[in-house]
Amino acid sequence: MGGKAKPPTASAATTRVMLPADCRIADLPAVKAELQAALSTASAELDASAVERVDTAALQLLAVFRREAASKGLAVAWVGASAALRDAAALLGLAHTLELPAATPA
Amino acid sequence: MAKILAVDDSASMRGMVAFTLRGAGHDVSEAENGQLAVDAAKGSRFDLVLADVNMPVMDGISMVRELRTLPEYKGVPILMLTTESHTDRKMEGKAAGATGWLVKPFDPDQLLATVKRVLG
Amino acid sequence: MSTVSLAQFHQTFFDESREGLDAMETALLALDGGGDTELVHSIFRAAHSIKGGAATFGFPDMAAFTHEAESLLDELRDGRRAIDAGIVELLLRSVDCLRGMFVRAQSGEALADAHSEQLRQELAAAVGREAPAKPSVVKRAETGASAWRIRFTPHRGMLASGNEPLRMFRELAELGELKVEPALGQLPALAALEPSDCHLGWTIELRGKASRAAIAAVFEWVEDECDLSIEELVEVAPEPTAVAAPVAVATPRTSREVAAESSSVRVGIDKIDSLIDLVGELVITQSMLDTFREGFDANRIELLQQGLAQLARHTRSLQESVMGIRMLPIASVFNRFPRMVRDLSQKLGKQVKLELIGEQTELDKTVLEKIGDPLVHLVRNAIDHGLETPDRRRTAGKGDTGTLRLEASHRGGSIVVEISDDGAGLNREAIVAKALQRGLISSGEGMSDEAVAELIFQPGFSTAATTTDLSGRGVGMDVVRRNVVDLGGNVAIRSVAGQGSIFTITLPLTLAIIDGLTAMVGEEHYIVPLASIVESVQLRGDALRTVTGGGELFRFRDSWLPIVRLRDAFGCDGVRADIEHGLVIVVEGEGTHVGLFVDALIGQQQAVVKSLEANYRRVVGISGATILADGSVALIVDVAGLIRQQGRRRVAA
Repeated sequence: MGGKAKPPTASAATTRVMLPADCRIADLPAVKAELQAALSTASAELDASAVERVDTAALQLLAVFRREAASKGLAVAWVGASAALRDAAALLGLAHTLELPAATPA
Repeated sequence: MAKILAVDDSASMRGMVAFTLRGAGHDVSEAENGQLAVDAAKGSRFDLVLADVNMPVMDGISMVRELRTLPEYKGVPILMLTTESHTDRKMEGKAAGATGWLVKPFDPDQLLATVKRVLG
Repeated sequence: MSTVSLAQFHQTFFDESREGLDAMETALLALDGGGDTELVHSIFRAAHSIKGGAATFGFPDMAAFTHEAESLLDELRDGRRAIDAGIVELLLRSVDCLRGMFVRAQSGEALADAHSEQLRQELAAAVGREAPAKPSVVKRAETGASAWRIRFTPHRGMLASGNEPLRMFRELAELGELKVEPALGQLPALAALEPSDCHLGWTIELRGKASRAAIAAVFEWVEDECDLSIEELVEVAPEPTAVAAPVAVATPRTSREVAAESSSVRVGIDKIDSLIDLVGELVITQSMLDTFREGFDANRIELLQQGLAQLARHTRSLQESVMGIRMLPIASVFNRFPRMVRDLSQKLGKQVKLELIGEQTELDKTVLEKIGDPLVHLVRNAIDHGLETPDRRRTAGKGDTGTLRLEASHRGGSIVVEISDDGAGLNREAIVAKALQRGLISSGEGMSDEAVAELIFQPGFSTAATTTDLSGRGVGMDVVRRNVVDLGGNVAIRSVAGQGSIFTITLPLTLAIIDGLTAMVGEEHYIVPLASIVESVQLRGDALRTVTGGGELFRFRDSWLPIVRLRDAFGCDGVRADIEHGLVIVVEGEGTHVGLFVDALIGQQQAVVKSLEANYRRVVGISGATILADGSVALIVDVAGLIRQQGRRRVAA
């Protein structure tokens, strides 16, 4: 079903952004809007546990977000990252930039 | 399994492509020319489009151009099925937004290998 | 190894290519009279498709041949070369040559021969180069290094074109171990980021024995969409690596995979859709009628009647639609004539303008396949004997160019094809003289023009003083008529001396269903095709006359016609009915009339023709069988066959 990104759940100062299962180029405008909204809160959580398909454009968007959040002093935490997202980030050499938590060894 | 659109005015080529891909478990739709392909693409989201270049009504290059104007077809792989002798057509296709090409003649194995390559 | 056998696509490829060749020919002939670019495009497309298919489906000789034709067409398409009569001629010959190749392909023979090779060289020469004797792929030896540095910076639009670095990196990972370093310097602010644009770049170190070509192949599709550099990291002694298999050599056919020659029909989607709609309607009607199963009360009778009427209507429409699937436009037969007429008229030094009318008229596929030869004969005949040379035409006060017109149309339940010319018309004297010489008639005195014209349909008749290589193919008008009659149709001729002739072929719409009159003979049902019935009459005893030899004649209008008692002809059991109690169906066939004597008439009905030959064996005087509403079998009378048989009997008697 893919699923569009859900509206950010704002609990006090923390915004959680849920990344869609199909997190690819055509679906990114919606994700971008959410990430932009999250930038103006105090802290953000990224939930990528549902991500099944992801592409370079999506990882680039996340990299831009992480970098900008860091420069604004916004705390960003991963609350979940699917294997698909981890693999893709590793292949593009972006795991470090995205500050993905170390993958649990298989 | 991926949703694939096979576009060719030649029924035999289209049949070969569709049959081969269905055999590999893909969900394949067929279109006889670029216009019908664009119509089909609007109603359904394909993971991959394979299209002949020379077709009546709307050729493959115009089709790519049209598809790329649709937001949902940004980034979707579109491969031109082209012949070795037409490098300029290849480049025209690329300029219109095609992902790549598969050189005719190809056999089912080459087709499957390329599709696997694009779909990852 | 592939699990997909390409042989299964051969028939489709042959069918569509034949259509493509027909289209090419038509377009080439149109070009002959000054063409436009769309024509050249359509010719190019057809050649291109055949080439692609030939290469794909394992016919390299055909692909090589078409390649040369395509190159020439490419030049015409680009306007690099002007179209002249010589090129059109060359391409027309190529079309013929390809047709020959398809015939050989169908029977699994070698495709190329001396003729095709020579023509291929001619095509290549026309393009201005020599055709390669054999396609060869030159590959230079490649060196392999054990470590590479790849700098890869995509242009902004690369991602949107569907080229995914993840895919490329995965492929690179198959060549060796990767170390990927992203370049993030060009990333914009989030607000300014258009997510589909690419602002990333990478430096990749690849460790493993890979050739430069193998690495470059990964980036083949994005050559123009990125900045790319591939450099060797560690110097190693160059060593030859296995040369990659030459590109795209069509899989040779290992065993002889000859496509089964099964007959198929290509059906338009709209026809299928209308069928599906009709079946939908039937299902609705059926479920409506189904409600009567539960119980029935009299005040619903109107509803029942409505339902049954609907059922009848839908069944009828469904039948028409299903028949429609077998219907194809006569264009496929007509299309061969422009070429033929052109060739023939050149050969004979005549000027002929061909007019084709009603090409979209649809005919049953079987009829269509069998009508080609008779039409070809009539067209040849018209050009050979009908139309005059420019000199003769001028003497006769006509224009230099004669007109030959083929016109197809629907007329009632039939298809009518007319072949008319404005030539000399039939030469009455020559026909009578020939008929006298052949002993067909004893005198031409008092014969009407129609009766004289009919003579040309007699076996073995030919009016040409010398047999030309055009009409002298051992086929006469009698065979033309026989072929048409076998299709359930007829040929007639009208001719006016000095003004021309018109041959009219009348054909049934379909062979699968006939309209017939059901008659009883003893306990059995026979169906007489309506098309051959003139009238049904009840005879009075005094209208009957017995002739020597046991034959019976009856008076019909102004003449006496022979009676064929179906009971005797087919050996039916039962009491022999008196002539006064039965009925005579006057039928027409083989250019004559006879009366079929039956016991009673049941009524008119449509009959779905079942082959008797396929289910039993061929029976003289019977063209097929059908199943009646009660499940019993009725035989369909072959009127022409019956008349022929009776004629032989009379001669023997």
